Amino acid sequence: MSQATLPIDFRTNAQHVPPKMPASVQKATAKFLGNRAALVEALGNELWQTLRQAAHDVRLHAITNLDQYLEQAERAVTKAGGHVHWARDAAEANRIVLEMARHHQVRKVVKSKSMATEEIGLNHALEAEGIQVIETDLGEYIVQLLGMGPAHIVVPAFHLSKEEIAALFREKLGVDAPAEAEKLTQVARMKLRQEFLTAGLGISGGNFLIAETGTIVTVTNEGNGRMCTTVPPVHVAIVGIDKIVPDWESLTVLLKVLARSATGQKITCYTQFISGPPRADAETGPKESHLVLLDNGRSRILQTPETRETLLCIRCGACLNICPVFNNVGGYTYGYPISGPTGVLFASQILGVKAAGGLPFASTLCGACNDICPVKIPITEILLHLRHRVAEGDEQEKAAAPSLMRTGAQVGSVALRTPWLYRLGSSLLKWAQAPLKRDDWLAKLPPPLSRWTMARPLPAFAADFRSWWRTRSHKR
Amino acid sequence: MSTNSAGEDILAKVRTSLKRGPGQPVAPVPSTARVKPRVAGAPDAEIELLFTEIGKLNGVTRRLGGRDDLKTALAELVKVEAVQKATCWATPDLMTLDVAGTLKALGVEIVSPTAGKHQVAECELGVTGVDAALPETGTLLLRSSPERPRVVSLLPRVHLAILRRTALRADLHQAFGEAKDAGYCVLVTGPSRTSDIELTLTLGVHGPKALYVWLLDES
Amino acid sequence: MPIKAQLFITCLAEQFFPGVLKGMVELLERLRVQVAFPEEQTCCGQPFFNSGYQTQARQMARKWLEVFGRTDGFIVSPSGSCVDMVRHHYPHLFPPGTPEHRLAEETAARTFEFTQFLVQQVKVTDVGARFPHKVTYHASCHLLRGLGAREEAKQILRKVRGLELVPLSTEETCCGFGGTFSVIYPEVSQAMMVAKVKSIEATGADAVVACDAGCLMNIAGGLRKANSPIKAMHLIEVLTAERGTP
Repeated sequence: MSQATLPIDFRTNAQHVPPKMPASVQKATAKFLGNRAALVEALGNELWQTLRQAAHDVRLHAITNLDQYLEQAERAVTKAGGHVHWARDAAEANRIVLEMARHHQVRKVVKSKSMATEEIGLNHALEAEGIQVIETDLGEYIVQLLGMGPAHIVVPAFHLSKEEIAALFREKLGVDAPAEAEKLTQVARMKLRQEFLTAGLGISGGNFLIAETGTIVTVTNEGNGRMCTTVPPVHVAIVGIDKIVPDWESLTVLLKVLARSATGQKITCYTQFISGPPRADAETGPKESHLVLLDNGRSRILQTPETRETLLCIRCGACLNICPVFNNVGGYTYGYPISGPTGVLFASQILGVKAAGGLPFASTLCGACNDICPVKIPITEILLHLRHRVAEGDEQEKAAAPSLMRTGAQVGSVALRTPWLYRLGSSLLKWAQAPLKRDDWLAKLPPPLSRWTMARPLPAFAADFRSWWRTRSHKR
Repeated sequence: MSTNSAGEDILAKVRTSLKRGPGQPVAPVPSTARVKPRVAGAPDAEIELLFTEIGKLNGVTRRLGGRDDLKTALAELVKVEAVQKATCWATPDLMTLDVAGTLKALGVEIVSPTAGKHQVAECELGVTGVDAALPETGTLLLRSSPERPRVVSLLPRVHLAILRRTALRADLHQAFGEAKDAGYCVLVTGPSRTSDIELTLTLGVHGPKALYVWLLDES
Repeated sequence: MPIKAQLFITCLAEQFFPGVLKGMVELLERLRVQVAFPEEQTCCGQPFFNSGYQTQARQMARKWLEVFGRTDGFIVSPSGSCVDMVRHHYPHLFPPGTPEHRLAEETAARTFEFTQFLVQQVKVTDVGARFPHKVTYHASCHLLRGLGAREEAKQILRKVRGLELVPLSTEETCCGFGGTFSVIYPEVSQAMMVAKVKSIEATGADAVVACDAGCLMNIAGGLRKANSPIKAMHLIEVLTAERGTP
């Protein structure tokens, strides 16, 4: 996905959402939420809450002991014959992969879906050096042909109709297939098989990294994750340092909540556990196995206890599905590969609040995300802290909001907390509204309140409780 | 391993953020982070559950009473799935059952899994055993070893898994305990699928399009 | 000992729904609750807090605690979000162990949203009300999730004579108000409000009931914009529409 212009302008993006997008989004999210709800009901709410708490606790334990677990993972991967690389930022990660590609004279790369690789712009870095990059997750393959990024972290192309996809295949692949999901999928299967078999390098992300044995875990449905990590002679996994889990036992909990929360499946088709390259040639698999541990701001996120739990995220997408804002605008509005509530948290902290623009405010704080998150991230609490960072700055960043706003807030708070000023304001509003008032409503107001009235009228200002109370008290 | 300045840098930043010193030990994983393992039901009920779950995901299950049953089933499979080439695991069980021999006798060309990915990709059928079977989700755990090449369950259009009762495990707790130090493994739950196009479920994206799981009981 | 309730009227209810406040007073007095009104109160500071201006929010909180801290009895408000502010956020505005923090915690512990106060403290769900109409209920986010009040309002509505409570398919979906959100992202707020209004219209109800002034401003405005005859009412207005004996 091309880097959106910074700072991210959520409002402008929201004003340009294609008219059909909200309905497409809602159709997709309703399906996932429905499937999820059925599975949660089958488990029983009590067990589900126990699992959520356990998932939260194991992830929090992992990231609050991250240094030790990272070292343990590195030792284990190396012992298993894999190679560990550390990338402080996107540029370093891209350099590492480029060098690997050059060393092996790679002309073509096959990739499975990885938000980390989108975050660092890996595809562009490789393509700039003349290396062909092929996204192999069907949804990613489709949006790649369109030149777009994913519209949803789990179903990247949900917003496209099968007619649009058929037209795309006709145009970009020269294949004339009927607009049926089955036939279109077969087209992709055939095309991509050749790519898997001839690619010099397979790139994946990692859903989890098990410190105990240095094992990369990938959770997929299509099989492209297995193909990318088995068929090409070299495999590299780009894994954020936040993906660490202590041991295999942790996954007995996390795997129970991940697929249920994401798509409403008990478990996905394929969960792979990769611990270095095959121990013998006859096993078949890559000759070389590489792990790139990506920081890119995660170690900094760790620093602030109030926002640290951002890193618990297991990328299930449930918060996207339940978010009423996301459901009305879709993923592209957020200007970042990860969208929805967790995307706001990541974008605001990986890019910084200045670059993230108004993202922390793109929420009504309804809290539905908190309740659905399988690892119990206190998303709205973190949003409130990020808003505080924007408005006033903290130990991570200085305030991004203009200082005029701060002055305004100070003046406003003095007016609002000084009783006589507050009461004066109430009276003035009742008086000033007179020419605009009709039938106890104010249909049109000047800016900035025009932002309210453009959508619906405001009730008329009608404060008279205090005088009523006083009259009543005097009567008694 | 040579000094990696990027690694040291990152670890130092992590430690500073967490206010932890180098070599500071990890507290044990809190007990609230663990859940109780599942207790398995009676073996027949477990098989029933496993087969039901596999069926829900469009896998095809079958019970075989012995080697004659196996031969009959293989003949049917070769016909139904138009199998011309096949590749197999070389585990002692499959060797003893002589699955490769039976297929050969049915006119199927047997391709060695180590013959190269292009050749294996031309096989319609891949035959494996099952290292662990998890009834609750209809999941098969397949390990990887010289006798269990990974491509066998991945590249061919049809995956046939021959299951023994002894592979049944109560849940992932048990299965993981055995698998974690044995190198690569994959959990397979149904044939490959996607809902990426208009949320319509389609099977056989990149992995196998069909999964057959046959329970072989022998008297 | 009669139960004593200090009225926390909230800035939005004061400006836009004074009838709700008067109804609350009359209703509580009928239920033999001793009602007081600390006149120096203004706003709890939530808009500042939600906008990230914690310094100003702290100043507002200090003022609020000064006014209510010296009262006795319960503090009762017809707005879930304001109560959520006091209960959950006020203590965090002050360093733990300080007198201000202690005051915040003590005062927060006796601050209640109206329906929670009725059910948990006064221990009534039947106030003798009559409202023979079809009604649907919108669960305000802060009341539902912030304060964990899933059932209280509906329990009370079910005891209202003649009232037919019909489910709202989007009962727990945010209406799009979100305080300053409504003016920072007006298009998205509008889309959420329109969805809520459509869903309310689909119930065939005569009225939609909520327990938060912000939600009501938004939904009432939306219904009016849609030329809908459906009334948006605070629960208290339903309870005081017609009076009978409990």
